[in-house]
Amino acid sequence: MQYPKPVTRLIESYMKLPGIGEKTATRLAFFTINMDQEDVGEFSQALQEVQTKLHYCHICGNITDQEPCEICANEQRDQTQILVVEQPKDIMALENMHSYNGLYHVLGGVLSPVNGIGPDDLRIKQLVERLQHDDLITEVIVATNATSEGEATAMYLAKLIKPAQIKVTRLAHGLAVGADIEYADQMTLQRAVDGRQQI
Amino acid sequence: MYLQEIKLNNFRNYSQLDLQFDPHLNIFIGANAQGKTNLLEAILVLALVRSHRTSNNQELIKWGTDFSRLQALVQKDQSRVSLELILSSAGKKARLNQLEQKKLSQYVGQLNVILFAPEDLNLVKGSPSVRRRFIDMEIGQIDKIYLNNISKYRQILKQRNNYLKKLRSKKTSDKLYLEVISDQLAGFGSEIIATRYQFLQKIQHFLQPIHQEITQGQENLQLDYHTLAGDPAQKVNDIYQSLLTRLTQQAQHDIAFGSTSVGPHRDDFSFVVNQKDIQKFGSQGQQRSAVLSMKLAEIDLFHQEVGDYPILLLDDVLSELDQVRQTQLLQAIHERIQTFITTTSLDNVQIDKNNRPKIFNIKAGGII
Ligand SMILES: Nc1ncnc2c1ncn2[C@@H]1O[C@H](COP(=O)(O)OP(=O)(O)OP(=O)(O)O)[C@@H](O)[C@H]1O
Ligand SMILES: [Mg+2]
Ligand SMILES: [Zn+2]
Repeated sequence: MQYPKPVTRLIESYMKLPGIGEKTATRLAFFTINMDQEDVGEFSQALQEVQTKLHYCHICGNITDQEPCEICANEQRDQTQILVVEQPKDIMALENMHSYNGLYHVLGGVLSPVNGIGPDDLRIKQLVERLQHDDLITEVIVATNATSEGEATAMYLAKLIKPAQIKVTRLAHGLAVGADIEYADQMTLQRAVDGRQQI
Repeated sequence: MYLQEIKLNNFRNYSQLDLQFDPHLNIFIGANAQGKTNLLEAILVLALVRSHRTSNNQELIKWGTDFSRLQALVQKDQSRVSLELILSSAGKKARLNQLEQKKLSQYVGQLNVILFAPEDLNLVKGSPSVRRRFIDMEIGQIDKIYLNNISKYRQILKQRNNYLKKLRSKKTSDKLYLEVISDQLAGFGSEIIATRYQFLQKIQHFLQPIHQEITQGQENLQLDYHTLAGDPAQKVNDIYQSLLTRLTQQAQHDIAFGSTSVGPHRDDFSFVVNQKDIQKFGSQGQQRSAVLSMKLAEIDLFHQEVGDYPILLLDDVLSELDQVRQTQLLQAIHERIQTFITTTSLDNVQIDKNNRPKIFNIKAGGII
């Protein structure tokens, strides 16, 4: 037997989400059928709004419903530091830390010619322009991931920005807090040793 | 270490197999094309998660089935570990003591094997890529950081070559990224070159006396590493500098060809006997002896590096060696090295029957 049209449509919609296969989509669809009408209304409105009300901040590239975004608009924040991340979700992680109080810049990915991503495909030009127009900035902290592409992107930014007499720093990596040396893998240990600091 | 047991499901021509081994000597006897080499291959794949015969793991799955499962119990000095590999069209899954290992480098190295097969003559006779593949496999068994460096290097090399092609077709003109990626490549490349050079040095230390003995004092065997990235005996940092300089010098050339012309992916090593490269000037017999010495030296090197003897897999090689070399080899396999031998007939091998080998008769993917 085939499901009624609206059900198949909903299943197919759920399946467009990452990590959701037909089985899960079907379960979600039948769950939705039994949900409160109010909840469903809220849900569909939320779905609509992420598309209609959200956009990328024209200064930093973060996802926002304001212009500029909350962080860029906040004059209380340290205007001398910019922290560069790959994706908007990285900003969330850093903000949850509650200890960084500077500004951000979202690249939108990392350099990877194999995946067809060159300097022009990332928000690198915007970053350079920001640094040119804003002489308050004294430090750029590069927080791309510790993958080889992330490292290359960090090095690229460093070479690009250094001539402008702005300090470029990179997040430290090594042992996780609370990690036992005994259980750390060799790569992590190597990095931790390489990045050791005087105490 | 020794292998206590293996279980196979749908591997090559085996549907299902469960074998218990002797800690010392195991012999697989059977006619051609019955599955002797397949068994040694199974042991090698359990150790390295890759085959010596193919780079495509799909070929290992029994025809007409979807996945194969390989399991092993390895007895070590102090502990026993269980290994499990599942190969399917979706890729491979490796479990160590029942726990899935996301990083293969955490899995590889638990079981150490040395394989000696007729095609190993290619180690001397074959193209540089054969020797690079060999050296990468062997170091990878004992050095996890090396494995990681190799995989990073390959990734970055791909990025660089791709970018060179973009520069060639004028899709971009940004040379800064080329600088960055060359720098990164030189970083991992120099680590690889230094490690390979040191590996050859170490193995040479064991190899020279062995080779002297095999050739009754006639030959002095030396291994030379060749790279365009300067002197491999330098400190890593100096290799890095000279590799980076070469990459920079070659940039125009590399853009024109759309590929990277210097680095460990182009390096090679040679077997030099009495100052002559035996790839060009050696007789068949000299080449064979050199490979044998190399394999025997590896046993000692593994023992030194891992603190335990590896498992030795001899595929059809005894029949190819003359009396002297066969004796040499069998002497080297003393009590503590578990050995697996394949042969079409016991007449070809002079095994001391006092060793009480465990004999498996192989026919069409089964034991009879
Ligand atoms: N993926 C596969 N599925 C099923 N059978 C396979 C597969 N791959 C290889 N074979 C079969 O395995 C057999 C070869 O086995 P193997 O190489 O172990 O032979 P062998 O006993 O070592 O022979 P020889 O003495 O000639 O070296 C061939 O008959 C081949 O058809
Ligand atoms: Mg065979
Ligand atoms: Zn913003």
